[in-house]
Amino acid sequence: MNKLTKFLEYFLAFLMALMLFSVCWQVISRYVLSSPSSFTDELARYLLIWIGLLGGAYASGKGMHLAIDLLPAKLKGKSKSRLQITIHTLILVFVLCTFVLGGVRLVYITYTLGQTSAAMQIPLAYVYIIVPVSGLLIISYKARDIISLVRNSEEVTETSNQV
Amino acid sequence: MEVTEVLILITSFVIFLGIGVPIAWSIGLSGIVTLLVSIDSIPAFTTFAQRMATGLDSFTLLAIPFFVLAGQLINKGGLAHRLIRLAKNMMGSLPGGLAHVNVVAAMLFGAIAGSSVAAASAIGSILGPRMEKEGYSKEFGAAVNITSSTTGLLIPPSNILIVYSLASGGVSIAALFIAGYLPGILTGLMLMVVAAIWAKKKNFPVGEKTRFPELFRSFIDAIPALFLLIIVIGGIIAGIFTATEASAIAVVYTLALGFFYKELKVKELPKIFLDSVSTTSIVMLLIATSIAMSWVMSFEEIPQTVSASLLALSDNPIIILLMINLILLGVGTFMDMTPAVLIFTPIFLPIVMEMGIDPIHFGIIMILNLSIGLCTPPVGSVLFVGVGIAQTTISKVVKPLLPLFVAMIVALMLITFFPQISMWLPGIFGF
Repeated sequence: MNKLTKFLEYFLAFLMALMLFSVCWQVISRYVLSSPSSFTDELARYLLIWIGLLGGAYASGKGMHLAIDLLPAKLKGKSKSRLQITIHTLILVFVLCTFVLGGVRLVYITYTLGQTSAAMQIPLAYVYIIVPVSGLLIISYKARDIISLVRNSEEVTETSNQV
Repeated sequence: MEVTEVLILITSFVIFLGIGVPIAWSIGLSGIVTLLVSIDSIPAFTTFAQRMATGLDSFTLLAIPFFVLAGQLINKGGLAHRLIRLAKNMMGSLPGGLAHVNVVAAMLFGAIAGSSVAAASAIGSILGPRMEKEGYSKEFGAAVNITSSTTGLLIPPSNILIVYSLASGGVSIAALFIAGYLPGILTGLMLMVVAAIWAKKKNFPVGEKTRFPELFRSFIDAIPALFLLIIVIGGIIAGIFTATEASAIAVVYTLALGFFYKELKVKELPKIFLDSVSTTSIVMLLIATSIAMSWVMSFEEIPQTVSASLLALSDNPIIILLMINLILLGVGTFMDMTPAVLIFTPIFLPIVMEMGIDPIHFGIIMILNLSIGLCTPPVGSVLFVGVGIAQTTISKVVKPLLPLFVAMIVALMLITFFPQISMWLPGIFGF
């Protein structure tokens, strides 16, 4: 899991650099080469979808998404970990339904209809594949969080029994 | 019929948010719950997935990651402290000198980068310790830093104005950018007035007057940073390139300057790129779920329901604007700015446009309104950054923060009821 996260970091930084390059190329091709390129606009937009969703999964693994943590901060011990498990489970269910189930169906539909992009002529299914992929990543991060919370709370009860 | 859906939407959202589900997921969850009331599960999931993906498919949104990246490079590449030095030499000798330095530096920073969080962290970490050394209280410094960094949201380039342009269905980014200058500067001036009064009352020190040669030297030193403003804003207004292209050029330019000043190393670049990807993707996930939610709302005809009930209360534009202001102040305290703009623009914009309010003017009102929310607990991201950097606590900052809040509210009222403040400059440029 840590290796995967490390790989994600480099991959995301690379996508960002590629996106920067393609928008710069668009300006250069228009003003310096005076033959505006047609694919850069599309490439950059699709890269943004990838960065947004894959990066969203990465940020989710790091627990970086903004939340109002008044309630979790007030609770302690068992009820706190119960609440956190609930939160992670809600996210997991949402992602499973929309990103994974909905995403797979979206990829399937665009694939069977043979929809391709306007400029680069690549199948749109390749672009949308990132939806279920990010979904699976988020689910594995959330599953990891839930498992470690459950383990920790078991340890807590064991030690408290000893005392 | 629609009232049930409005209730489900609001109740589920409040519950998810209240128990601590991250904002982006709360929006997604309550959106999908509402959608499931009227359509079957599989089509609902697929549509939601599609709306999230296509919501990010926008050339306009591309400007956000680039302005975030440019902001980081300004911070790390030595441009930030050159701007702060210029601000110090300009403002240091006024009563409460360093507080004014903070406000002016925030406005300059806002004028070349698009993020208030970046401004708060850059300026707070450089000026905060210096203010403490000169005898200012830590809390006062933090409060000034927090409120003044929001001026960057109005002073272009501004990511949130780009989001508004998208949400409003294509109000010109160039027009919004020009419109933001005077309201941003007005808000900054208001903050400076309050800071001066507060500093006089507390006998905070006055800095020495800077001699002209030194002021001139710091100005020359800041010229390359200020030149970025001319490239970006000039280029957008003159129609040489789009906001997105300008943002990419800003990145290349700040990269080049950082290397020229020898403050950036190639080895640091992957880390800087990844940091900006993280910041970007947090915003992008919010955008994706907010756009899907916004689609659910229009599918359930929720905007019509809200507008009918607002208009039933009054048809006086001033009252309606005041009510919208109050609602947005409330929303701003609980919701991050980006989803708030994406979700509430489609609801409120048709109402105010029917009353003859310009969408550019309304955008400025909305952003300033939500900026105030960034400085209030429990969600204010700028508040957290500012308090964290000053190493103090929210409860201690509240006291010096209050008068600055009042200044922002006064600025908001002026900008709401005097459309000229926002519309005069765009008018000159023919928008």
